[in-house]
Amino acid sequence: MNRPLCPSWLRRPDRLLAIGGIFLLAACSNDSAVKPVNAPGDLDRGRMALTQYACHSCHVIPGITGSQIFVGPSLEGMGSRPMIAGKLINSPENMMRWIRYTQEVDPDNLMPDMGVSEQHARDMVAYLESLK
Amino acid sequence: MSPSERTLVIKTVAITLLVLALGGVAGGIAFLMGGYYNISATSQHIPVVYQVLTKGLEQSVRFHARDIKAPPLKDKGMVQRGAQIYQTSCVQCHGAPGIAPQGIGMGMQPVPGPLVDANRKWEAQELYWIVRHGIKMTGMPAWEYRMSEEQLWETVAFMQHLPDMKPADYRAMTGATGAKR
Repeated sequence: MNRPLCPSWLRRPDRLLAIGGIFLLAACSNDSAVKPVNAPGDLDRGRMALTQYACHSCHVIPGITGSQIFVGPSLEGMGSRPMIAGKLINSPENMMRWIRYTQEVDPDNLMPDMGVSEQHARDMVAYLESLK
Repeated sequence: MSPSERTLVIKTVAITLLVLALGGVAGGIAFLMGGYYNISATSQHIPVVYQVLTKGLEQSVRFHARDIKAPPLKDKGMVQRGAQIYQTSCVQCHGAPGIAPQGIGMGMQPVPGPLVDANRKWEAQELYWIVRHGIKMTGMPAWEYRMSEEQLWETVAFMQHLPDMKPADYRAMTGATGAKR
């Protein structure tokens, strides 16, 4: 019998592999190449900055991979909350202040001053504001 | 189905599986050798990968620590000595109430994370096992060769108190300045 042992549909797995590879590559891209100062807050840079100041080690943050951890409150919907940590009215300026000078605002709070630079804080605020 | 047809089916299935396996291996090698995987600490895991790795970590620790018996950990001196060890060896990566880790602990992937909830997540003997043996590929070092048996348990004893501590309590106990960075 002379039927081909390898019918055309068998070659599809290769195509599938290629498609899977493209997805993996997309998931692995870096976006930390730019290091601006005095720039307007940027959502994508903010997301990266939140990971690099270990914010997600205590807070659940939508859009950032991390554990289900509740040492600090979840930051889900942070953009539409009236208050920050029960201490400050939620505004971009106050969020900057809270992120950079946490212990000055509330010395009893477990959250440390993480040494966040002004630009990084501005970017973080842009990201947090987008969490409606 | 005639015997010859059955043979054909079995052959087709076998060869399909073989081709798929070879394709998978070839694809895997190409992906590995091509360097396409981004190994940087700034690129986050895909959530499901992170969850699987975390689950594996937890299960491994629980399994390997299952036969360890924790000594009494309530002794005040023990806790106090543990506080000093914590301030010397742990705070740089894990931070403490009101005290940030150093940059080394913030820029890691996976992020070391706080220990103020450690005694809710882990039994005492599991904490001991982690401190003593470390955790592969996470940056958590093994302290077995740096700490005595007593010091390992003192560290665990102190961690039992971390959840109840305010920044001022921690500073009082360890003499940490908690200085502005």
